[in-house]
Amino acid sequence: VRRDRRSALAGLGVLAAALVVGVCATVAFALSTGFDRSARAADLPDVVVRFDAARRADVDARLRTLPNVVARAYRFEATGVGLRAGDETTERGAVQVVAARGRHGYAVVDGRDLRPGRARETVVEQGVARAWGLGVGDRVRVGRLGRLRIAGVARSPDNVAFPLASAARVYVGEGLVRARFGGGELPVDQALLWLADRERTDVTLAQARSQAYGIHGISFLTRGSVEALIGHAAGVVVGLLVAFAVVALGAAGVMLGTAAHADVRRRLPGTAVRRALGFGRGRLARDAAARAARMTLPAAAAGLALGWLLAIGPTRSLLAILNEAPPGAAVLPLLAACLAAIVALVVGAATWPAWRATAGAPAALLRGGELAGRTGRRRTWAPRPPSANPLGLGVRLVSARRARFAGTVAVVAACGAVVLLMLALASLLERLRDDPATLGKRYALTLSAGEDALPAIRSVEGVEAAAPRWVLTAADASSLGEALEVVAFRGDHTAFEAPPLAEGRRLRGDGEAEVGLGLADALGLAPGGILALQLPAGEEVRFRVVGVVRALDDEGRIAYVRPARLGAAVAAGPPAIAVRLEPGASRTTVEARLRERGFEPTVVAGAAGRDDTLLGLLGDVLRVVAGAVGLVLLYALAQALSLTASERGRTLALLRTLGAGPGTVALVLAGAGAALVLPAALLAVALEGVVLAPVVADLAAGYADLPLRASAGQAVLVTAGLLGLASLAAAWVAWRLGRIPLATAMRERP
Amino acid sequence: MTRHWAAVLAALVLALVGASCGEDAPHHPAAGSTLYATLRDPDGDGALSPAPGEPLLDRGGSPRPVQTLVTFAQIADAHVRDEESAARVPFLDRLGPPLHSTFRPQEALTLHVLRATVDALNALHPAAVVQTGDLADNAQRNELVQAMTVLRGGTVRPDSGAPGASGPQLASNPDPFFYRPDVDAPRHPGMLAAAQRPFRSPGLRAPLHATLGNHDVLVQGELAPDARTQALAVGDRAVVAVDPALVEGVSRPVTTDAIARVLGTGRAERVAPDAERRQVSHEQARRLTGARTVEAFDIGPIRALALDVTRPEGGSGGRVSAAQLAWLDAQLIAAADRPVVVFTHQPLDASEGGAAALALLAAHPNVLAAVAGHTHRNAVRRGPGGVWLITTASLTDFPSQARFFQLVRTEGGGLALETFMVDHGAGPRGLAGIARGLAFLDAQGGRPNGFLGRREDRNVRLYRSP
Repeated sequence: VRRDRRSALAGLGVLAAALVVGVCATVAFALSTGFDRSARAADLPDVVVRFDAARRADVDARLRTLPNVVARAYRFEATGVGLRAGDETTERGAVQVVAARGRHGYAVVDGRDLRPGRARETVVEQGVARAWGLGVGDRVRVGRLGRLRIAGVARSPDNVAFPLASAARVYVGEGLVRARFGGGELPVDQALLWLADRERTDVTLAQARSQAYGIHGISFLTRGSVEALIGHAAGVVVGLLVAFAVVALGAAGVMLGTAAHADVRRRLPGTAVRRALGFGRGRLARDAAARAARMTLPAAAAGLALGWLLAIGPTRSLLAILNEAPPGAAVLPLLAACLAAIVALVVGAATWPAWRATAGAPAALLRGGELAGRTGRRRTWAPRPPSANPLGLGVRLVSARRARFAGTVAVVAACGAVVLLMLALASLLERLRDDPATLGKRYALTLSAGEDALPAIRSVEGVEAAAPRWVLTAADASSLGEALEVVAFRGDHTAFEAPPLAEGRRLRGDGEAEVGLGLADALGLAPGGILALQLPAGEEVRFRVVGVVRALDDEGRIAYVRPARLGAAVAAGPPAIAVRLEPGASRTTVEARLRERGFEPTVVAGAAGRDDTLLGLLGDVLRVVAGAVGLVLLYALAQALSLTASERGRTLALLRTLGAGPGTVALVLAGAGAALVLPAALLAVALEGVVLAPVVADLAAGYADLPLRASAGQAVLVTAGLLGLASLAAAWVAWRLGRIPLATAMRERP
Repeated sequence: MTRHWAAVLAALVLALVGASCGEDAPHHPAAGSTLYATLRDPDGDGALSPAPGEPLLDRGGSPRPVQTLVTFAQIADAHVRDEESAARVPFLDRLGPPLHSTFRPQEALTLHVLRATVDALNALHPAAVVQTGDLADNAQRNELVQAMTVLRGGTVRPDSGAPGASGPQLASNPDPFFYRPDVDAPRHPGMLAAAQRPFRSPGLRAPLHATLGNHDVLVQGELAPDARTQALAVGDRAVVAVDPALVEGVSRPVTTDAIARVLGTGRAERVAPDAERRQVSHEQARRLTGARTVEAFDIGPIRALALDVTRPEGGSGGRVSAAQLAWLDAQLIAAADRPVVVFTHQPLDASEGGAAALALLAAHPNVLAAVAGHTHRNAVRRGPGGVWLITTASLTDFPSQARFFQLVRTEGGGLALETFMVDHGAGPRGLAGIARGLAFLDAQGGRPNGFLGRREDRNVRLYRSP
């Protein structure tokens, strides 16, 4: 019975660790492969060319000459169209007019696609359908096209889903539009290109650019750009989730391995007896492996399944927001691999020490020897007069078995480090959401106004400075698929926006640029290099790179310049005015004052995504992982204390014989627990700060500085939590000991 | 800029309208007869890769060949271009046809392609090589001299003007409509500098015969050189950009006035003058190339008749004069039963007076074919009386091939003319291979325009039958 209990306890530990693995593997796989899976399913074009409305024949005459193009399709998009369905309504509808035949670049996930002809039907984007509760057969009013029947629901990962995307997108057929507005040729303003070799996109785009003369407002959006845009909408949350999941996977491996190792050590005396009875080493190792496998396989399978179950719901929600497909059965091979890895890890961790331990003479093992080949005097606790301090006695008891002690400390430290990482993540996300300074932004508000409004804005109490800020999306002139954000301030931009300088210096002149590390990595830029930009209007401008900054915004694909060379791109419209507040000034108050003067200020957002759901999802995942890690911790501590109590049962029984009450025994065990968790806490802080935090920061956003080191307060909190768990485990073990009669306890041998 | 100068440039530009002289070329070290291997893009990704050869197709008969009597080769439309010349208007290329040959992505590599073609032909050991015109691109002396150095052998010095590369393809040029090999895809860093370095050519190891093409003697293949065009060519000013709005406003068809108006607003820059850029007269071109107004020569048993059908007064189309017709008639009679092949630059069927010439050929069943260039397109068609009308791709545009011929005796004692295309190799420093790759990608070049021709336009065995 006791062996069964021990196996159940060990199985529980495996289950908890496997649960962490299941959650993290599901989240990491689903999020990191979401775009590619969805793009494949939707037959997403490799390049979307956007331009001002033009005759299809004119555009096609140019595009059909491009190399590497295997198919092309055209669309016309009308924006600002009123959509209404039931009580839901928006004036920001985007109606995409598509040819009924040919490739559309979206996947119909419910119902069917548009049919050729004039049928009064539409296909709605899944975000719209979900947000408005629409389904196939429902009706939606689409601007002047009137009420249309919903023939299907589509998913296209070329943008995030409504309402994260402000525009509600629906698709209608050319035939319907022609029938409603006249039979002439419809203009087009988007061309979808499918390439034979996506790796040669730049070659196709270079030819497209050379053919683009006379087509206005042309821009290219590649698959890579779309992925980056969606990543931008999701903020750094997805990156953090994936990175955390990867790190937690590693931590779970440590937990499993160490726990299995400790378990086999516990069984060494029995192994020694069998060895003495003539069992061969191989047989003993095989038995250890079989035992570990029997225990691990169901526990790990259950843990992985539970982890998948807990993670898949929130993950599916996040993917839906991003217009990406849930992983479905695609995650099963990964989970199966995880199962195999867990079993292999645990079996390996159990078999190897058994093999090594049986290398020496059986007599040495029977004397309590642990590992073969060890020399020198073994330190074992010998019966001595009990310490006056029960806590100190507990420390001596638990530390007597040094290897097991170290293993348990390692497990607890790994768990503690993961918990610390979670706390640091939570803090960071809060800052990213609320504090634009995390992005290096020193202004808190922006507003749309002409430059002539600057004096009025600057005169508002609480405003320290205000300056026009231009932002435009450009492409690298050589690799046209590489989109980037260009931010321009007329003077010293560091007064308003100053991400840390990683290399070089700040820009000083009109022809100079600072580039984000993400952009520098993508384009191979360094101080002294040339940044050649293709602006939206088609002209090319060049800047000398003088500095590289660790900007978090736009995944570091950003360039800071002065506006003088941007020409028409900045002259076209009024810039946003960036408003920097005086130290200590209330943002809310200044916002109100600006409104009083007729301005419409906007609070500068952080980089943690534009939707609370993203943060909610991260919270869900962290909670699940936290629960699982708590279970692992509790298991590790209970196992260690239980083993100690079992091995030193006579000592504890002697204490009880001498009059020690249950409280004293609990104190002894609490001392043992403290001896485990205090060094583990120190180790956890070091592990989080030196290994986990840098790894996660680098995985999630290597182009920026993410402050992911846990604070002192968080370290204290985790230590206290560990002590609490140790106390809980000590109380449980003490309660179990108290139920054993003294006479029985005195006979008990390890 | 003076109106006068703009008008001259406008005329030069307009010259391109009727030139219909194409472009391009791919890259891979594969070279030689396409009977055994060639280059194709089977997966459509814009990159050429080795492909199986194309065996000869029989056209007009099927008796088996039993003996090869003689072989010869044709080089067409090399368009060796001084891409650094001041007398250019590459910024008009963006307007598309008919101005699309004012700039080619591979234009700095024309000499290297010609050199690689020389190597490929030498390996096939032809008894003679006929160069059917447009050896030069802009009737400049340095273009013809350099091209002939490649064909005859010697050290070729591609650079002109100031030492080193110049022109619109430099990375420093912020005009995104030009292919700049140092920064644009597909990137070929250092290509321009490498293109300017001297190289040696072994020259053709076979007798060379030539006809003139419109680009050899006319500015941009269209305009007879005069004092104004000469001043432009050897001058120190070049228009490098024009007002985009004005260019965009040019209505079709493009007129001289419209172009003059656009060029009049152009921004000119000082360039290093080079007297070697002077444009050649007809007579000078003949001296440099060895071409004549009419020429009869023997290639083994074949009687070859070459006619210069360019128009000295200007215009890209061909014209067969009455004197040439009379000469042709006499030569055909004199040839008696010997097999005859006629060479011109512009195809006879597209030349003024060409119909009369073809009628003469049709009347002589011993005339096997009329071979031409000019169209930049591989084509083999039946003409009047069953005479085969053959045009050959240019070296400058894709597919950048030369044509090889074999006169064979067939079973039963008849004759057939076999012809197949020849791919060139990578050339000096791999630049000819790069040129072919760029030519293949060119969205205004031979790939989208179908210059490769159909299967039956390339490797065929032709039987003369009425």
